[in-house]
Amino acid sequence: MRCPICKQPADMTPANRFRPFCSERCQMVDLGTWVDEGYRVPGAAVEDREHPDDFKKKPLH
Amino acid sequence: MANKQTQDSYSAQSIRVLEGLEAVRKRPGMYIGDTAERGLHHLVNEIVDNSVDEALAGYCTEINVIILSDNQISVEDNGRGIPVDMHPTEKRSALEVVHTVLHAGGKFDRGVYKVSGGLHGVGASVVNALSEEFEVEVRRDGKLYYQRYERGTPRSKVEERGATKLSGTKTTFSPDSKIFPEVKFKYETVARYLRDMAYLNAGLKIRIKDERNGKAEEFHYEGGIREFVESLTSGSETLHDVIYLHGVRESVDIECALQWTDALHESNFAYANNIHTIEGGTHLSGLRSALTRTINSYAGKNNLIKSKDLRLEGEDVREGLVSIISVKLPEPQFEGQTKTKLGNSEVEGLVAAQINEGLGEYLEKNPSDARKIVARAVEAATAREAARKAKDLVRRKGALDSGSLPGKLADCQERDPARSELFIVEGDSAGGSAKQGRDRRIQAILPLRGKILNVERVRIEKMLSSAELRTLIMALGMGVADEKDVTKLRYHTVVIMTDADVDGSHIRTLLLTLFFRQFIEIIEGGYLYIAQPPLFRAKKGKQERYLKDEIALEDYLTDLGAEALTLQAGKGKELRELHGAPLKTLVRKALGRERMYDALARRSKERPIIEALAHLSADKRASDESFRSDQALKELADAIIKELKGNLVYRIEPESDETWRAVFTHAQNGATAPTVVDLTLLRAGELREIRRLDGDLEALKAPYKLKSGVEERTVESLKAVADAVVAAGQKGVEIQRYKGLGEMNPEQLWETTMNPETRTMLRVQIGSQEDAEEIFQKLMGDQVEPRRQFIEENALNVRNLDI
Repeated sequence: MRCPICKQPADMTPANRFRPFCSERCQMVDLGTWVDEGYRVPGAAVEDREHPDDFKKKPLH
Repeated sequence: MANKQTQDSYSAQSIRVLEGLEAVRKRPGMYIGDTAERGLHHLVNEIVDNSVDEALAGYCTEINVIILSDNQISVEDNGRGIPVDMHPTEKRSALEVVHTVLHAGGKFDRGVYKVSGGLHGVGASVVNALSEEFEVEVRRDGKLYYQRYERGTPRSKVEERGATKLSGTKTTFSPDSKIFPEVKFKYETVARYLRDMAYLNAGLKIRIKDERNGKAEEFHYEGGIREFVESLTSGSETLHDVIYLHGVRESVDIECALQWTDALHESNFAYANNIHTIEGGTHLSGLRSALTRTINSYAGKNNLIKSKDLRLEGEDVREGLVSIISVKLPEPQFEGQTKTKLGNSEVEGLVAAQINEGLGEYLEKNPSDARKIVARAVEAATAREAARKAKDLVRRKGALDSGSLPGKLADCQERDPARSELFIVEGDSAGGSAKQGRDRRIQAILPLRGKILNVERVRIEKMLSSAELRTLIMALGMGVADEKDVTKLRYHTVVIMTDADVDGSHIRTLLLTLFFRQFIEIIEGGYLYIAQPPLFRAKKGKQERYLKDEIALEDYLTDLGAEALTLQAGKGKELRELHGAPLKTLVRKALGRERMYDALARRSKERPIIEALAHLSADKRASDESFRSDQALKELADAIIKELKGNLVYRIEPESDETWRAVFTHAQNGATAPTVVDLTLLRAGELREIRRLDGDLEALKAPYKLKSGVEERTVESLKAVADAVVAAGQKGVEIQRYKGLGEMNPEQLWETTMNPETRTMLRVQIGSQEDAEEIFQKLMGDQVEPRRQFIEENALNVRNLDI
């Protein structure tokens, strides 16, 4: 498994208390981004709201 | 080697006597730091430094160090040799003066060595004073001279011992065991110092040999500190080749080598006159201020920092940097606890100017390297900013204390986490229903709202506000980051309950991502669930039914339709009539078979081919063996063509070492994707299910007549029968696709979604590591830009979500 922040390999066992991150730094960077409201889900265009079932048919990318 | 001076000037007259030697043996620590291992090896360094000074002055090219035994070592160079003529004021040989008078030596006369090393400049006399035995051989002016000392006192006059064509000084000494508790030279310690000296003095050849075990090495680096940096960065990813800067300003020789790596830490080695200045000093601060200034100025000029509030601090610029700064100056001042901090204030400005100019020029000439270096620093600055914000959140007094619960939380009465449930509910109205409908003894409700941003009135983005984040952390009670403790988690059932619409799926995606990244223990413990509110509401008369998905809806409509219709299948002896429960069973089977065909169609398997393959495998005419040779597969493919009588062509190709596959395409229309018939398809669960249902449904033969009261009509297939039954069930039924949790009243929400007795929930799990990675990659996507990272829309089919 790769660290979500730096993409370096991360140890996913309990031995790594920062999992799924590789390090405390990456964990803090992630938490900071949450605090900063930096993680966003891009929604549809304002007019173009879709039904969730439509998403199923879209290819995953 | 710089600054070559004339040989004539180095004579007895150049040796100035400053002070006597008495104090050294009394207080050795004052002169060499300590009398432990470090001090012991320091003696070697002092003697080596004298040879390096000769090299700096341009006269010495080789130094040989031999560890003769545990307590004896020799250092030999090919420099000019220490002067042996009579000292004008001391009336003794200069050689003897150098070795018996403290602070005597060429390095105190700027005329001889413009720059010189030697910690404190105490030199040979201190080493002599602290040695049981000390011998020196000088080759100079065609002659070999020799003198021997014991504990600093000469045991002979300077003797002439014949002729030689060579020049240089050889010193052999044994540290005094009365001074040093343990006298045992370590090869590695000596070698490390010599290696550093060789790196710092490009071209100088230094050899070491250990007579105790025959170990020997030669250090010789034409590239000097460039090679030093390369040796330090080998094994890490580097962003560019070593940057080497060199210049002389106001008789300070400034040399610097830089290389950025992808490491998170900085490593720097600073030297002044070959002394490793562990405590840094003015040369290091000059380097640092120049780095920050030059890189900021380049980044600014080229518009490389996108975010307005981001500033590159020194630590950002130096992240991953491996650097060596080496200065050589006439009168170094050393300060600090261990006298390893350069104090000359003028050096800071000179180094800064040199690096500003040199590095600035390098960046201009190498824009691709420059961009990488700046990007690295921007990354570090972004990370630093984010970490600061995270720490603010964690440390803000009282904000996350487990004692204080957020006002929005409607807590449960139960205090045992194992029996407590937390429902994280999207939206206030749903939160209201959930609060009323819950079992307040064991169920807590936390309403959360996604924050919506209308980006340039074009696109909607959703995020979790930091206030909501704090609320959630407080409700969970287990802390976050370095204060995290899963044993303090207040609920062992945490349920994400969101609407079955796009907004709900967005919030769910955000929450799942947050839990995975910051509260992975909750997922690992099996505590995290996704509620499954119904997708449909069916209303018939005054009766209301909530149906969790399409299959439940179909079932419900089948039940109604099967009561309204009667099926007559076959004729004569085979005639059968079905109504009510038997008809329901039939329709369910028929619809189930359709779902299997649909599932295969999504993998581009054409229905007629599947139907044929199902028949043939039921008759045992298609088996694993059919795929083991091209001939057997050809027979099967021909049989398929014959069955479906369609206008299809096929080709046979090898799939693996042992198996073959048939690829069917339409003869005229190449546009549709080909259907691949292979062993995987033959063994597919769907095909097995189709075979089983075919067997069950076989008994019912055409024609199919449907009767409802006096009406009667004939349909073609069992699929049409099923469709007709479902359609009949829809009569008088109002079906509403169900979107918001808030549309349900509290009782309905309890009954359909929250009641532990009747609800179904999905447990969130981390599958195999690869799967988890893949799904989260999809969930979270790539970072579009550093400060605003999008979580990509994905894996939104809750039913399949098994992370």
